[in-house]
Amino acid sequence: MSQNEGISVLVSGMGSSAGIEAAVSGTAEIGTSSRELHDGEGEDLVDIPIAYDGIAAIVNPHNPVDEITTEQLRAIYSGKVTNWSEIGGEDLPIDIINRDESSGTRDAFASNIMDGERFDVGAVILPGTGQVREVVARSRGAIGYISVGFVDPRFGTDPVKALVLDGVAPTDDNVANGSYPISRVLHFFTNGEPEGATLQYIKYVLSPEVQQGAVIEAGYLPVTTLGGQD
Amino acid sequence: MSLKRDQMVNNFALSLFWIAAGITVAALFTIIIYVVVRGIGVITPTFVFTWPHGVNAEGGIFPTIISSIYVTGLAMLIATPIAVLAAVYLAEYAKQGIAVKIIRFAADSLASVPSIVMGLFGFAFFIEAFGLPLSMLSAALALSLLMLPIIMRTTEEAIRGVARYIRWGSYGMGATKWQTVSRVVIPAAMPRIITGLILAMGRAIGETAVVFYTMGQAINLPAIPTDSGRAMPIHLYLLAVEGINMPAAYGTAFLLMALIFIFNLIARLIARRYKKLQE
Amino acid sequence: MSDETNRDLSAYPIEEPLSEEFVELEEFRHEEGELVDYQSDSDDLGTLDEAVEEDGGRNSFVDVLIGNVDADAPVGIDDQFVLGEEMPTGKLQLVTRQTQIKEFTLMSIFFACAIVAVLGVTLIFAFVAYKAFPIFTEVGIGNFLTGTEWSGTEGLFGIVPFIVGSFVVTIGALVIGAPLAVMTAVFMSELASPKIRSFVRPAVELLAGIPSVVYGFFGVVVVAPFIARLFGGVGFGPLTAWIILAIMIVPTIATLTEDALGAIPMGIREASFAMGANQWQTIYKVVLPAAKLGIIDAIILGMGRAIGETMAVLMVVGNAPQLFAGITAPISTLTSQIVLDMGYATGTQRTALFGMAAILFLISMSLVLFVRLLSRFGQEMSG
Repeated sequence: MSQNEGISVLVSGMGSSAGIEAAVSGTAEIGTSSRELHDGEGEDLVDIPIAYDGIAAIVNPHNPVDEITTEQLRAIYSGKVTNWSEIGGEDLPIDIINRDESSGTRDAFASNIMDGERFDVGAVILPGTGQVREVVARSRGAIGYISVGFVDPRFGTDPVKALVLDGVAPTDDNVANGSYPISRVLHFFTNGEPEGATLQYIKYVLSPEVQQGAVIEAGYLPVTTLGGQD
Repeated sequence: MSLKRDQMVNNFALSLFWIAAGITVAALFTIIIYVVVRGIGVITPTFVFTWPHGVNAEGGIFPTIISSIYVTGLAMLIATPIAVLAAVYLAEYAKQGIAVKIIRFAADSLASVPSIVMGLFGFAFFIEAFGLPLSMLSAALALSLLMLPIIMRTTEEAIRGVARYIRWGSYGMGATKWQTVSRVVIPAAMPRIITGLILAMGRAIGETAVVFYTMGQAINLPAIPTDSGRAMPIHLYLLAVEGINMPAAYGTAFLLMALIFIFNLIARLIARRYKKLQE
Repeated sequence: MSDETNRDLSAYPIEEPLSEEFVELEEFRHEEGELVDYQSDSDDLGTLDEAVEEDGGRNSFVDVLIGNVDADAPVGIDDQFVLGEEMPTGKLQLVTRQTQIKEFTLMSIFFACAIVAVLGVTLIFAFVAYKAFPIFTEVGIGNFLTGTEWSGTEGLFGIVPFIVGSFVVTIGALVIGAPLAVMTAVFMSELASPKIRSFVRPAVELLAGIPSVVYGFFGVVVVAPFIARLFGGVGFGPLTAWIILAIMIVPTIATLTEDALGAIPMGIREASFAMGANQWQTIYKVVLPAAKLGIIDAIILGMGRAIGETMAVLMVVGNAPQLFAGITAPISTLTSQIVLDMGYATGTQRTALFGMAAILFLISMSLVLFVRLLSRFGQEMSG
């Protein structure tokens, strides 16, 4: 850290899309985002992966359902399946918890699971990962999706249950080796090749100190564990 | 039509009014007690005077407190002179007519502009069009628009509340209009003006949607007006939706309400003192 | 006598040398009791007493000059103001031209400050509308205002669900909150002893001081789980928003209603009691009808508060861009959708959000206008 003294970093959080927007417009030296660039978005942006993350479908711990398939998940989120009994659970309406459109988590979930289908318009939309977790933790019929890292009990007061998806449990190892179906890369975007203090900061973030420290502490996987994934 | 029946209806109806007032007061106390019970344990010197750190936003909320006070103070500095002088005009100078009607209508409309509209305007105007950074200054400018009609109204009422014979005395001694207004009327109305100012500050410090788009959300200790920061209501919102550190959310809610109640208390004390002086 | 003094300073050309005539204000020419037009901009002539009444006693200087002051007129009670140190050392003399210029300049500055409100509100609307304008060309006003589907990623910008949502949320909040607020106001004004009133009134005012984000937070951690337990589901939807908003608008409606009730002369209550009416009959048949317009005003302003409320609604309403589908099914409103999408919206979607803001502005503005018309109507009715 000593070599970085004198560099102060201001962090603003506004959602993935805002991060990309900020990098494009130059409002920020580094835009952070948990989603990929859309076509035609920010041609000059340099993509620097900084961490790796899987997305877990979560349900209430009292929900007997433990496993789900990608197709079932898609059917639930598109509104075709509305009762847990239809996928082998108890006779209970499914309360879908979705994220707002600016969320990178939603973006990753949509591209990995939805396969072009539209989300059910009647789903509750919550603006934060923590709130999704809280609501699922207290609602027996609810289903939501959050970063694998945030399933850990230390991120909430009550536990939630992460579903096994297509037979693969959402563990760090499965996410890292690419066998878990929903994963994403957390990005830094810079407008042009980074230099000066920006470069120094990026090097710091990619250093083992941060990767094995803060990144893991935050519930993500170090970018260094990437198994040749994109 | 027996009197007894009337009496029963009367008692029944009146008890409904008691219940309604009871519900209103109970709603207030439920919220206060809930926030106090959950929040007070969190309030430690560390919470008040240190920075948040780590992914769970552990630690304190010091920069957000300073940001909130900073932006409210700055907005106050911008809004007060304009609003007070505008009120002086309306109360002392203006002739009833179309101009005054328009001003009053504009002030009422300004007071009714939804805060999100004010926020979008502040973002599009001060930040995008004028190129100001997301900062204390931009937020204070937007907030001052919000405070303007509140201060105008309370100040005008205060000035109108000043007894007329005080003015006669001043004019009788040959004072000009401005001398009368500045040395007689405004000093006499001062306690009520200050009460209004404090209430407007209470409104501004709890404002979320306006500062959301004009101040940014970076946790920062503001020094100059063009510094950005994160106000307490925004910190509370983010903690609540991110849900990662609920104790800190309760603590922030508690401190925010405490600040506003202190403002209210001060306003009330000034008003009471003023009343006593009158009697 | 501020109006007239002011006229002396401004209406008289500054070049005109000050003369003895200057002191001879036109009012001196009026006879006692004569009809005098004090409001030069208005046509109606009233008696002097009315004119004094109308301007709240501010302009009484002239009354003194004309010797037309009613000895019985209520006099203010600002005894604490000590004439003395702060008073100008009055030398009786005509104002100099320099003073005249100074006074005029000051008045112009005050006027400029008063105009800031007009400029502010015009600027807000003009700028928001300007930012929103492309939506009319890119999406079309018809598609925008009558479309029922909203999806930024798919380029669908119909805001019907949000308009419906805003009204559902607002009207429900009024249905719960308005009776509660009006009854609380009646309680404070008609029933409560001064001691109880001095407890309830500050409570109502404190309720107004709680920031909306705290209400929203309370809704998320207390009301939503409670609703979920009662009705199943997850607890986000109109019902939760109604409860939170109802509490939020109570202070607005209650304080304004109490003011309206306080303005009713005591005499009509006494008359009612004298005729043998009990308290409920007096409230129901006399007091409430007399304060009707004031109460409607209060409710409309409460409605304005509810429809513009943002953070609290965003946090509890569920934010699903669908038409009303039941009291516990999530919906979205104009305000909450703006916050939800503003973080990432670009291009057409951003203009759509500004379009929604412009509509919100127009709605709240027309509520204010409605209140104005209503009070004018009331004045005409009463005289």
